[in-house]
Amino acid sequence: MGKYVLQRIAYMLVTLFIIATATFFLMKLLPGSPFNSVASKLSDEQMAILLSRYGLDEPIPVQYFKYIAGMIQGDLGISFQFNNREVTDLITSRIGPSAQLGAQAMVIGSIIGIFVGMAAAIRHNSWVDYTANFVSIIGISIPSFVFAGLLQYYLAGELSLFPTAFWDGPEYTVLPTLALMIFPLAICARFMRTEMMEVLGSDYIELARAKGVNNSAIMFKHAMRNALVPVITVMGPMTVSLMTGTLVIEQIFVIPGLGEQFVSSINSNDYPMIMGTTMFYSILFISVILIVDLLYGVIDPRIRVSGGKD
Amino acid sequence: MDKILEVKDLKVTFDTYGGSVQAVRGINFDLHKGETLAIVGESGSGKSVTTKALMGLIPKPAGKIPSGEIMFEGKDIAKMKDKDMQKIRGRDISMIFQDPMTSLNPTMKVKTQIMEGLIKHQKMSSSKAKERAIELLELVGIPDPKTRIEQYPHQFSGGMRQRVVIAIALACNPKILLADEPTTALDVTIQAQILELMKDIQKKTEASIIFITHDLGVVANVADRVAVMYAGKIVEIGTVDDIFYNPKHPYTWGLLGSMPTVDSKEDELFAIPGTPPDLMNPPKGDAFAARNPFAMKIDTEEEPPMFKVSDTHYAATWLLHEDAPEVDPPESVKRRMKDITANGSDQKGDES
Ligand SMILES: Nc1ncnc2c1ncn2[C@@H]1O[C@H](COP(=O)(O)OP(=O)(O)O)[C@@H](O)[C@H]1O
Ligand SMILES: [Mg+2]
Repeated sequence: MGKYVLQRIAYMLVTLFIIATATFFLMKLLPGSPFNSVASKLSDEQMAILLSRYGLDEPIPVQYFKYIAGMIQGDLGISFQFNNREVTDLITSRIGPSAQLGAQAMVIGSIIGIFVGMAAAIRHNSWVDYTANFVSIIGISIPSFVFAGLLQYYLAGELSLFPTAFWDGPEYTVLPTLALMIFPLAICARFMRTEMMEVLGSDYIELARAKGVNNSAIMFKHAMRNALVPVITVMGPMTVSLMTGTLVIEQIFVIPGLGEQFVSSINSNDYPMIMGTTMFYSILFISVILIVDLLYGVIDPRIRVSGGKD
Repeated sequence: MDKILEVKDLKVTFDTYGGSVQAVRGINFDLHKGETLAIVGESGSGKSVTTKALMGLIPKPAGKIPSGEIMFEGKDIAKMKDKDMQKIRGRDISMIFQDPMTSLNPTMKVKTQIMEGLIKHQKMSSSKAKERAIELLELVGIPDPKTRIEQYPHQFSGGMRQRVVIAIALACNPKILLADEPTTALDVTIQAQILELMKDIQKKTEASIIFITHDLGVVANVADRVAVMYAGKIVEIGTVDDIFYNPKHPYTWGLLGSMPTVDSKEDELFAIPGTPPDLMNPPKGDAFAARNPFAMKIDTEEEPPMFKVSDTHYAATWLLHEDAPEVDPPESVKRRMKDITANGSDQKGDES
């Protein structure tokens, strides 16, 4: 098991290196420069000073190696737009709201989704099932910013139950969390229903019934865990779409998170900031996949063993 | 002998999109204390559905028991509420399933799966239940039970898993054990071991066993009595000797004739022609008529009743009517009967 984890971490590092390289060169292909907005006001001399200050006058391979070397030491460079502050600093100062929002949406959404899916499977072809199915289709097909708008209009505007925007305490997190959690809820409900249906039709559930096990123990002790195994696999991709979801939701609710900062750094060609944030998201994503794989092993003993042998 | 179970005119149907499938069409039989009753028949003849009805496990709402009684200790299982049935399942009546590869919960330790019934039905503490679980693994012949009990099903081979399934079924000393083709999914050598184990258990526990199989060779080896099922009905029932030495129903002849034995030549096999009838629209008269080389006119018109051959032996065929012509089983079937019974007694000799 330990060896397996180390191996996975080694793969992660290789993947990150490839992502870093790719983003660096893609960035260089982008039209425009970080100083577009001020270029007309600067003399050639001033411009040269600026470029050398940020190392942009050096040949691209040199810039690349400096960037990679810095990254290995945990230094992602200096932001062009935010008063020369370090990128790592800027990222860490903005993680809080994003992480809270993402985690709340993910945890609450998937737990509710799992139970909705279970209920739909247990009462399949009843109104419970049809309602759950309707909710999942809505949640999967309608993007989160539409919900955000509706929530703002009705719950914040018409009913004044929650604040419309900003980030200033628990009540401010309710609407963005609701908007963001519908997607994980819908996905989990769908998968859980399918898996539960299959598990409930399996021989080992019939054997459990043959032992005289009562219905609730059949559902929660025998079926749920087995049905969860495949549901865990969608958690990885779900986290990614949640991260892209936060980008938009943070803009809509004016939340001082990473996503909002990322969007503004793209608008101003702030290379170090864009690359730093991309790297951060990549690390997050790859870690999530690793955690999901390990969680998979915790839930399913068969994978635990074969994973160790690989 | 005392009756432990009485099945009277049991019918089971399933509502499907195409119509109502009449899986079991009115069967009658008794199970005596301590005996092994084999139920044989082609696949689709309603054997598994019958065992599920005895367990109260007919899947609802599609499955229904429109009529009939299953009397166990003065109560009718067929009409019992699921809540009450939960107390009987696993305690008084338990079941061994066909496929050991799929009948254990893959994410639950073997220990937990065995202890569950003990804790539920016998209110054992978990340490007591664990001791008993280890004893049970020992009883079913799993070496090193103290270690094995902490493992998961995927760490066991098919034969060992079936032993675990048997241990689960035996946990609460059931009065009735239903075994639905418990060896069909296993390798031939393992099959023999599991059969040995079943016989051994029968001796030790004195449980009544209903042993479902489509393999007549197995029947000669384990059963006291045999019920032959065809298209949801019992067409012949009797002791092992009745069925093997003096079979009366042409379908039983077919089963015996199509059974390969050690010295039989391929061309001698007496195969039953055709396929079983559609249980959504069962034919008028005898359901076996279309495949019966000895069918008479009345077979297509009226269903034969159970004719009494002897006190222990009954068969549902018009050939037993006093006006019917004398018909003997085909020569090849007679030879096969001799082979089987000779081999059967050989096997019995080997064991002792
Ligand atoms: N859940 C079900 N729904 C519909 N038909 C069923 C169901 N279970 C069994 N049957 C039908 O009942 C008949 C008897 O099946 P079964 O008892 O499994 O036969 P076998 O003798 O092979 O065990 C078959 O025709 C089968 O298709
Ligand atoms: Mg069957």
